[in-house]
Amino acid sequence: MSTVVTPAAAPAEGRERRALRLWIGLLALGIAVGLGAWVYQLANGLAATNMRNPMMWGLYITMFMYFVGLSAGGLIVASAGRLFGAKQLKPVVRIAVLEATVAVMIAALLLLPDIGRPDRAWHLLRYPQLMSPLIWDLTIVTVYFLISATYVWVYTRSDLAARGSRLALGTGTSLADARRDERLKGVLAAVGLPAAILLHSITAWIFGLQIARGFWYSAIMAPLFIASALVSGTALMIVLALIVRRTGKVGFKDDLVSYLGGMLAVFIAVEAFLVFSEMLTAAYPGAGFEADPARRLLTGPYAGFFWFEVVAGLVVPFVLLVVKRLRADPRWVAAASVLAVAGILIHRVNIVLNGLSYATVPFPPGVPIGTAPPEGATAFALSYFYSPALIEYLVAGGVICFGALVFTLAALWLPLREGGAARLPDAGS
Amino acid sequence: MADKVSPVEALPPASRAYGELEQPSDEPRWGMVVDQERCIGCWSCCVICKSENDVPLGMWWNRIDTIGDALDTPREVNGELEMHWLPLACQHCENPACTKVCPVAATYPREDGVVMQDPQRCIGCRFCMVACPYGVRTFNWGEPDRPTGFDTGMVPPRPVGTMEKCTFCVHRLAEGQVPSCVWSCPAQARIFGDLNDPDSRVSRLIRERSGEMLLEERGTEPRVYYLPPRRKRGLDT
Repeated sequence: MSTVVTPAAAPAEGRERRALRLWIGLLALGIAVGLGAWVYQLANGLAATNMRNPMMWGLYITMFMYFVGLSAGGLIVASAGRLFGAKQLKPVVRIAVLEATVAVMIAALLLLPDIGRPDRAWHLLRYPQLMSPLIWDLTIVTVYFLISATYVWVYTRSDLAARGSRLALGTGTSLADARRDERLKGVLAAVGLPAAILLHSITAWIFGLQIARGFWYSAIMAPLFIASALVSGTALMIVLALIVRRTGKVGFKDDLVSYLGGMLAVFIAVEAFLVFSEMLTAAYPGAGFEADPARRLLTGPYAGFFWFEVVAGLVVPFVLLVVKRLRADPRWVAAASVLAVAGILIHRVNIVLNGLSYATVPFPPGVPIGTAPPEGATAFALSYFYSPALIEYLVAGGVICFGALVFTLAALWLPLREGGAARLPDAGS
Repeated sequence: MADKVSPVEALPPASRAYGELEQPSDEPRWGMVVDQERCIGCWSCCVICKSENDVPLGMWWNRIDTIGDALDTPREVNGELEMHWLPLACQHCENPACTKVCPVAATYPREDGVVMQDPQRCIGCRFCMVACPYGVRTFNWGEPDRPTGFDTGMVPPRPVGTMEKCTFCVHRLAEGQVPSCVWSCPAQARIFGDLNDPDSRVSRLIRERSGEMLLEERGTEPRVYYLPPRRKRGLDT
């Protein structure tokens, strides 16, 4: 079966309006709480978080890496559609590039609460040290954000111009304008794909170039990050596209969902292969620099996380997507996508926790915590079991709410429907 | 800081003479030897480091690890008990992992090889801490907490949200004195000097006693060398 939801098919205007208002209100509340939490954190320093010397990166960096990955969906759909002629993706291209823009913005914003001196963030521009993967990453995040934002503009421009919107930046709806759009789309696709690959690779190299961390120092990190970005980015895009379709802002047939589901299955298979290859290589020696972290994931303290990642994040969604009958039903594709998005989140958590939480010189008493320990607790740690403090959840949640608000407002105001509001129902074919 | 008297200046002449640096070469590269044969695990060097450098509560620039599974506890090796310590501070690597990753060059190697940390430039991203294989960097998570409010050293303050670490007591080097930990060791387990001078005590000891680098396989090339214990202080099990 295939359904195309049009604005006319949404009779419960009033109820929808109320739901939207409630949603925006909740996001605004989340942002306010997040800002408040950040002010508290600024006043108390990062001591307000649960991060300490033996576990110096936590939720913020994990979520940074996660949202960088989530941004993959947009450019893949946009560039692949263009470069490899996957025309059927057209109806979701606009929402995909919007999602990419917002995701990479969230990622960049998450770095701000993570640094100890946000007041000195300008030092990054004043004293850049070009050997640092962090500088490479900030550069590519900025470039990628600009490319994605340009993408959104190029794809919505003609409809904006038709509306007489100022966002069209003075361009019109003539044939010449349309031709320039096509040229620009071609250029963007050619620049966007390498930029996307670089974005995920460089984010991987923040971790993968560190000789101090056995589980990270591996050439597989960049390919692995690209694969996990493809999985989480595509999965999130499917979920978002289905949600936005319910509001009638975009229209496409269910075939497209199963097509994207098929793509997702391939990405999951690649991710699973890379994870397996990584774990086998690390675990095979049995002990040491590589094998100890691998064992912590396979049977040790992080086994729960790891096996969740494998079973709920890779195996189950793959099965759901590979069975043709299930893939034909958008509900199963949506379920598989939600699982894949959750699985990759845990994958990120595993990378950070397992890479950092054990002292690299494994002799007692271990690494000094860095703050005065509470009564009776030790001031040193050989391993440190980190779970984020409430304040970290609130700050990260605030940033995500801000991103969701930007996405919601953009989805309300921008013409996301391919082909303009004039000719609706055949958009999916 | 101008109104303060250098702690080195304040020393009695005999103490001062005891801490004097060997005459270095024209281009010194400072290095340290830690004799595990001599170390008795007393933490004197760690404590004087704290006061010399105003290291706040919860932080140590310098610590004594015990080789084995438990602090100050012997371990069984081939049916015999033995106990050795690993005094651990910044290794002032020739090829430091930390300086490479710093996005703002707030940590950097000096000409003489000392790996420095600029608390005024540091943005607090903690990437250097992630990169360091020795776990010897420490971060000001909150406002630095000093119970007695003492400020005995000659070191600049490190504000909240910035990184700090051992500096080989550069303020003492400038006055021709060895680092505090070297001066204070009651077992004389620490020796400091110029690695560029083949006849310096450190160079000779490294040669003669086969000084080892910690985690040599990581390629960081530390300038702190460990002299392995020669004989077992055997206690029969």
